Amino acid sequence: MSGGQALFHTEALVKRFGGLLATDHVSLSVEAGEIHALIGPNGAGKSTLVNLISGLLPADAGRIVLDGVELTGMAPHQRVRAGLSRCFQVTSVFRGETVRDNLLLAAQAHAGSSFRFLSRRAGEQALMERALVLAERVGLGEVLDEQAGALPHGVQRKLDVALALAARPRLLLLDEPMAGMGPEDSQRMVALIESLRAETAILLIEHDMDAVFQLADRVSVLVYGRVLTSGDAAHVKGHPEVQAVYLGSEEAEGDVEGAVKGNLKGERA
Amino acid sequence: MTTVDCSDEMSPRALRGGAHGRLGTWLPWGVLLALAVFPLLAPLLEMEYYVGFVRRALIVMIAATSLNFIAGVGGMVALGHAGFIGVGAYGVVALVDAGVGSAWLAWGGGMLAAALAAAVIGVVSLRTREVYFLMITLAFAQMLYYLAVSLRTYGGDDGYGLYVPLSLGAGVDALAHGFYWVVLALAALVFAFGSRLAVSRFGHALKGIRDNETRMVALGYPVFRIKLAAFVGAGAVAGLAGAMLASHNAYVSPSLMHWTESATLLVMVVLGGLGRRWGAPLGVALWLVLTEVLKLYTDYWHWPMGVLLLLVVFLAPRGLAGLLDRRGA
Repeated sequence: MSGGQALFHTEALVKRFGGLLATDHVSLSVEAGEIHALIGPNGAGKSTLVNLISGLLPADAGRIVLDGVELTGMAPHQRVRAGLSRCFQVTSVFRGETVRDNLLLAAQAHAGSSFRFLSRRAGEQALMERALVLAERVGLGEVLDEQAGALPHGVQRKLDVALALAARPRLLLLDEPMAGMGPEDSQRMVALIESLRAETAILLIEHDMDAVFQLADRVSVLVYGRVLTSGDAAHVKGHPEVQAVYLGSEEAEGDVEGAVKGNLKGERA
Repeated sequence: MTTVDCSDEMSPRALRGGAHGRLGTWLPWGVLLALAVFPLLAPLLEMEYYVGFVRRALIVMIAATSLNFIAGVGGMVALGHAGFIGVGAYGVVALVDAGVGSAWLAWGGGMLAAALAAAVIGVVSLRTREVYFLMITLAFAQMLYYLAVSLRTYGGDDGYGLYVPLSLGAGVDALAHGFYWVVLALAALVFAFGSRLAVSRFGHALKGIRDNETRMVALGYPVFRIKLAAFVGAGAVAGLAGAMLASHNAYVSPSLMHWTESATLLVMVVLGGLGRRWGAPLGVALWLVLTEVLKLYTDYWHWPMGVLLLLVVFLAPRGLAGLLDRRGA
């Protein structure tokens, strides 16, 4: 929660829905090259926070700053241009189009104007190449001509990530990238996210504690819209209030990781 | 007309926009040629009356193409498109009333007026979606309708007669079918432009917005501006159609923009094939030919028309153009 030097930070972000304080003065920061995970029980306000940061919801108070540029008043698409890109909890791709066309559309958004009316996009070699690079980056090179909506869930999630990467983001918001995945797909996604570290800082919202503790440099715990604590994996696992939130306080510390996971799996089911 | 699509880029989904193979390459040119020589052959076939009919059909096709673009490619199903046709027509009336004699100037003015109306209406109505968008565009068009009814200067309910034909330039005016060929050329241009637009960057972005607007925002697209640009462009083209319709009828009245006209235009587009390249021409041709033929036999042409339309809907749920696509694919 340092302020000035971090690549990205929010300052006392507030969002109210009627009487409900969904986001309660949340201050977070993400350093360059860092993976910062955000965990918390269902209803803690994680999705609201993601929507505030990406601009799909307007904040009632507070600031959002990326690389010295204030994003708070910007429209969502302007934030993307400023370097903040996101994935969706529910896979959001163009289901009727091929993987290639999905990636072309993403590449087009960041390579010149879309107000070109007379030349055929099919003739643009640079876009094609960019789409290929993105496909290779996440391992979709084999399925370029498959229809996106017909692909297995895990592959669609990769496409979702590739679409977000087209912006060459400075900060990538991953909203539960492992949601609905089996263990194998999850491991592949963990490896993919780990490999992105060199390109972009990541704010990772995730239920899968194995993944969180494998990936995150720092973990913040959100409860009732408020940041309960923030620190490295050991700090969070050992934090008495976190234990209380997730499992009741008596559990032995050694079991926390497994128990947290079990608890959350149960919660989701 | 040069944009027939057989490229690597055409996915099965995108293919629906275009015809296929060699047929698709020569078909537009063949149709254009047939339509171009039609007025010359009509006397031999004793079909002179139908030269005017085809001219009107081509004008309606221009309007339908613009609606098909925003509704089919852009997902903006508007029920007020006749409003822009009306603004284009009244733009001509206003300029003629002010002493303008050039068709090009009057049509350009009508087009500009329609574009401005579309900009204002678009800024408001594009904040809504789906059925709300449909209702709000309908509401705006009805406002324009009643505005025209109340315009005493231009005849109000009775309409306004254009007694002196507008000049298309000395060379064109000298031709017996000059107006017809100008309409045909503009219709061809609009068709070609629409086809090209669908495979341009702009068209792809618009389709993306139709299919998944939230994701388009998250990709960094200025979604609202793209939709507004499409809406204004479609309004301008509908305005051009309205301006030419004013010349064609030599008369303009508020009934031009009654909401049933908007609905008919939408039905034509859906029948022809929403979002398909040939959707507007086929839909307009089917509708106008059917009404014309049925009127020969009965004054109560609406009910056999209804039955025939039901058949089309059941046999070709994706429109006539969709039917052709499937056959050829």
